[in-house]
Amino acid sequence: MSIDKLHLAATASTPTVDFDPDTGVLQLAGESYPENAFDFFRPLLAWVAAYLEHGTTPVVAELALSYLNTSSIKSVMDLLDLLEAAHRAGRTVTVRWSYPEDNDRALEMVEEFKEEVTLPFFIVPVAL
Amino acid sequence: MNLFALKEQLREAGILISFTGSFSHSIIEELGTAVKKYLESAETHKSAIMDVFSVYIEAAQNVRNYAERRGQSDADASIVVIAKRDSHYRIYAGNVVEAADTEALGRRLDAVAAMDKSALKAAYKDQLRRERGPDESGAGLGLIEIARRATRPLEYSFTPLADGRAYFSLCVEI
Repeated sequence: MSIDKLHLAATASTPTVDFDPDTGVLQLAGESYPENAFDFFRPLLAWVAAYLEHGTTPVVAELALSYLNTSSIKSVMDLLDLLEAAHRAGRTVTVRWSYPEDNDRALEMVEEFKEEVTLPFFIVPVAL
Repeated sequence: MNLFALKEQLREAGILISFTGSFSHSIIEELGTAVKKYLESAETHKSAIMDVFSVYIEAAQNVRNYAERRGQSDADASIVVIAKRDSHYRIYAGNVVEAADTEALGRRLDAVAAMDKSALKAAYKDQLRRERGPDESGAGLGLIEIARRATRPLEYSFTPLADGRAYFSLCVEI
């Protein structure tokens, strides 16, 4: 069974989504504070869960989320939990989370996510 | 109505943005974009911009979600204000709260207001890991997030309304 690419263009309150099953690269970039974050993230989480169930392609989550409202934070935690479970089950999984180097609040948020998991998690400051 | 006098009143009170009416998601989003653009041009501290924006989003979405959950027909009585006094920003949010909800809301706010930064972080982590209830539209994290961004304990009041409900006012200083 093959799984299709998932691409969603950004809106003012949702990030760009680019999930590529061939390369294993899962990209989320932008800000997230939609009316209903759970509805927005539900299909993304379902895609990731299905993708992690089969195959051995190493997974790299490339996240560039600089602002999340609290319900988006909860959904991103669910995403990290899926990745963490796959990591523990032996899949090669890496998180690379970049943030604008002048944005301390974004850094604090990412650090708090990192505290919740044990998978390889790199925090990458991006020069302006 | 003398608009010039009203405008002067707003200016003297340090009010940058004020919206009253029924909060739709598109209004929250549009105002949020305007707030951020304004702050980016006027404020050099990125953290302050992020804190004001974050508190505004959480407060406005709380009001909107609550009105929806309770099926309030008079949700146009809601208000959100962002003001700047001296070097501090203040975000205010007000809405009608059903009589049955005031006590629980007051208790939650008192609990949050009593926490220091490390207790707030612990509560945040705890809530992050809690399963979401079936009728919760938010993550239960909103008030904790607001308190984490605030530089002073949250202030709130309930003004009794004739029909037994109350007008809830929240003030957050950044």
